[in-house]
Amino acid sequence: MDEEPRIGVFVCHCGLNIAGVIDVKAVTEYAKTLPNVVYAEHNPYTCADPGQESIKKAIKEYKLNRVVVAACSPRLHEPTFRRCVAEAGLNPYLLEMANIREHASWAHPSEPEKATEKAKELVKMAVAKARLLRPLEPFKVPVTKKALVIGGGIAGINAALDLAEMGFKVYLVEKKESIGGHMAQLDKTFPTLDCSICIEGPKMVEVARHPNIEIISFADILKVEGFVGNFKVKVRKNPRYVIEEKCTGCGECRNVCPIEYPNEWDEYMGVRKAISVPFDQAVPLVYTINRDYCIECYKCVEACGPREAINFDQQPEEIELEVGAIIVATGYDIYKPFDDPVYGYGKYDNVITSLEFERLILAAGPTGGKVVRASDGKRPRSVVIIQCVGSRDLKKHEWCSGFCCMYSLKHAIMLKEHYGEDIDVYILYMDMRTPFKGYEQFYRRAREMGVSFIRGKASEIVEDPETKNLYVRAEDVALGEPIEIEAELVILATAAVPAEGTEDLARILNLSRGSDGFFLESHPKLKPIDTPVDGIFLAGACQGPKDIPYSVSQGSGAAARAATILSKDEWLIEPIVAVVDPNKCRNVKVKCGICAQKCPYGAIKIEEGKPAQVVTAMCHGCGTCAAECPADAITQMHFTDAQIFAQIEAALEENPEEKILAFCCNWCSYAGSDLAGTSRFEYPPNVRIIRVMCSGRVDRDFVIDAFRKGAGMVLVAACHLPYDCHYISGNWRMKERMEALAKMLEKLGLTPDRFRVDYISAAEGLKFAELMKELTAKLMEIGKERIKAENQKLKPILDRMLARKGL
Amino acid sequence: MPMKLIKNEDENVIRVERKLHAKHYALTLDKSWCKGCGICVELCPREAITLKPIVRPSEGRANPPEIDIDVEKCNYCGICTAICPFGALTLEIDGKTEIPVINSESFPKLVRDVRVDAERCKVGCVDCEEACPLGLIKVSVTTPEGEVVEDLESIEDKESLKVKVDIDLEHCPCCRICEYKCPEGAIQVRKIFHGTLKINHELCPDDCQACLDVCPIPNVLYKEDGKVYVDERFCVYCGACKIVCPVEGALELNRTWISHVPVKSGAWNRAVEKLASTEAMAKLLKMKALERAKSSVEKRLGRRL
Repeated sequence: MDEEPRIGVFVCHCGLNIAGVIDVKAVTEYAKTLPNVVYAEHNPYTCADPGQESIKKAIKEYKLNRVVVAACSPRLHEPTFRRCVAEAGLNPYLLEMANIREHASWAHPSEPEKATEKAKELVKMAVAKARLLRPLEPFKVPVTKKALVIGGGIAGINAALDLAEMGFKVYLVEKKESIGGHMAQLDKTFPTLDCSICIEGPKMVEVARHPNIEIISFADILKVEGFVGNFKVKVRKNPRYVIEEKCTGCGECRNVCPIEYPNEWDEYMGVRKAISVPFDQAVPLVYTINRDYCIECYKCVEACGPREAINFDQQPEEIELEVGAIIVATGYDIYKPFDDPVYGYGKYDNVITSLEFERLILAAGPTGGKVVRASDGKRPRSVVIIQCVGSRDLKKHEWCSGFCCMYSLKHAIMLKEHYGEDIDVYILYMDMRTPFKGYEQFYRRAREMGVSFIRGKASEIVEDPETKNLYVRAEDVALGEPIEIEAELVILATAAVPAEGTEDLARILNLSRGSDGFFLESHPKLKPIDTPVDGIFLAGACQGPKDIPYSVSQGSGAAARAATILSKDEWLIEPIVAVVDPNKCRNVKVKCGICAQKCPYGAIKIEEGKPAQVVTAMCHGCGTCAAECPADAITQMHFTDAQIFAQIEAALEENPEEKILAFCCNWCSYAGSDLAGTSRFEYPPNVRIIRVMCSGRVDRDFVIDAFRKGAGMVLVAACHLPYDCHYISGNWRMKERMEALAKMLEKLGLTPDRFRVDYISAAEGLKFAELMKELTAKLMEIGKERIKAENQKLKPILDRMLARKGL
Repeated sequence: MPMKLIKNEDENVIRVERKLHAKHYALTLDKSWCKGCGICVELCPREAITLKPIVRPSEGRANPPEIDIDVEKCNYCGICTAICPFGALTLEIDGKTEIPVINSESFPKLVRDVRVDAERCKVGCVDCEEACPLGLIKVSVTTPEGEVVEDLESIEDKESLKVKVDIDLEHCPCCRICEYKCPEGAIQVRKIFHGTLKINHELCPDDCQACLDVCPIPNVLYKEDGKVYVDERFCVYCGACKIVCPVEGALELNRTWISHVPVKSGAWNRAVEKLASTEAMAKLLKMKALERAKSSVEKRLGRRL
């Protein structure tokens, strides 16, 4: 598109919202004087139908090939006007907006003249960028209408069933021998006390029977390649040494096997045979030989007989799956407090974890449901349950594990139900947390049954070497004095921690994890199920501890999110992506790969001797690579270097030393600046904001260019560290880059206060306004003359730096 | 309670335990019975039993080899307990003596075939009791009523007395010394292990008699003219000698047969191969008509048996 730009400028009154402060006529007249502007007008409401019609008419009448709308924030109506110009036959990406409402009329109501001047310059900046806009087309990728669910716990089971019911083929990959997850280990479920396996078992069987679901159990995910709609997954099926199709699950092999080993599903409290299923309701009901323990007597082969289901020569099998969406539902593990000397876990026989207690009270458990002590096999008469072991503990795990209060209440109620007056149950707690339906009532029930609640934290447990009873010492917060309870059994409600293997899976899927180690969602409020990688979703406790109803809901939620992709034949990808110029890329000659290293999405592939390659479908358009590229070989579409330089130039043409040039990321700080306007927090009108998608896009050259053009001050504003960035880590890359730049500029003689990096969230309108006031005050303090003098000294050096790059 | 693995060792025993909340396993080695033959080391499927480094004193008698048990590895299958010719190992599950591999017929019980025809015994003869190198035989005399006679001289009617020979078979390696020493031919012993033991004197270091020092049965090995010779009549083919022998090939031990109750078990086939030879195992498989197992071995070895 090399034809001469013909730009139309449309200034909106927004009723009196803009026109009440700004002289819209003057702005319109000013726009007409700008190069390439062939038409300008003002409307009362540009976004309303007559306003939009007027734009369409003008496009046709004046053969406009670029449109600038000076109105509200692009965060509000950019989609509206894109649609509008598209309807008039113009490429939607040939539209630019000047934000003269949030950034001018609303922000500077008491200085109408200055606000009008600012509005003019905002239009000038928008026109400067519009001149360089290029038409863009969204990318279309085909969609494989199959899904992969990783993890067969209750969340994964529900996700798989929902997707299968919608008609999509689902592969359910489970690491262990059976699906079911932690729920299959539990005895009863709160707050209804229905038997866990009785309600989960039928679901597990349904999964096995569903024609659209293929369970791939005892398998590991080795590799995931591709992108939304088109993932290629490599899975290794580990050998069971039993042929899945031939095993009838009769168990005759188990009966003859001489070898027993500690059963993980029983929390190593009981044993299973070297050929066995982990529990009777296992799905798939296929036996597995544990070759670590098997002595190869082949008694099982004999017992299996003509079924010939046992094959000692079985090898691991690698299979490849093609799916359009992935749901991660890998769950959690329970912390075992071996390393905490307070509780004596692992040292004292009669200190157990809550999960061990589940197996103890479960009728199908290793003791046949008898609650007995390990030390003497006798039933305890007094039980102390200790809450928050390893949870809400800054030295261990900071978070509240969420479900422990409820399951401890359940354990207390069950003990009381079994043994009534014959047992004393104490719960030692920090806070009882019982929100959600029916939970508080459950708490009251426990109180009414005579469970003793003591608020306090255990400080020490001592064992009587004779009786093996335990003395739990704690501070009773209510009494304000130390107490000691003699317990025959102590149950520790320990923290829920990320499942083993979460780190590896995060690497394979390119997902990020929070400081707690659990998978990180895209947005904690509005995208709690999405991940930063399009097409990959989270369900259940792999994202953070969750109880059963919450996990089930999330499983269904993830299925619905995955279906938004799977239900389409093609998936559209916004064209605001990075593009590599193969002629400029250094990697052809030397080993570079910086872009690939810095890309938060792993969307850039590097091969030695070849130019870097952007996998468009994986690129999220943050522009970090474009800013990092030492050869300026990467262009971020719609936010190109040339476009941003043009905006800088336009912003600083007049009185640059009085101005603050701000680069704001779209999601947080630009939104924060909008909120300052919306909230009518007035601030000085000398700031000129350039919007970038992510602060990671802010190239050093932009800042250098701004200073050589005489800017009084430069601000780079980003989402808060460490986790607010909408592109995972763009803000971190910006921080590293700008810290180095700040040092250099200071050395060259720039007053440090003139360059600022700050973090403003979308909610911090006030902070934005206050920051503007603070920076303006500093600007005044430094003084125009000093700035001019500094700039004069700096300019030749900065010129030389940019000249090397041909700027 | 989380699983606990416990190991205790003193001068008399090594005891390893796997303690689960609902089950308890313990394997105990009675050091006084362990002769360091290393058969258990050879057969342990988890390599949980190892030989401690052999200490060779510069002077005096060689020490019998000692074994060690790895508590992290022990499977509590009972193969070591089943195979020990001296009965040095005991396996307890939940406090009861039990050998799982024998219960399931995954491993055979050794046949300790010692028959005594006490009818032939002469009252007052204790030759066998005195002859047993391991002190396993107890000869007693009873009245027709079954009362044990302590003072033989006090009984007048010696004709009516009965002789009872009790043998602690659990620890008996079946060396046959008692059989030879019995003047009445009242004892018949069949060895557990059959085979050959040869000493290649040309390889023996000067003055070395380590094999002789550690042999649990006296007079199996004896020294003449500075050389050690074997009297195979009493050899139990345990192999302790071979372990302490400092020169590879100086002692040649070949087991050709093991007396055991019949079982069909892959674990036992492998045990035979390890203790005796591939040929011995092939013979065993052939005898049991286990053609499939035999052909799989042939495939593995790449030759016909």
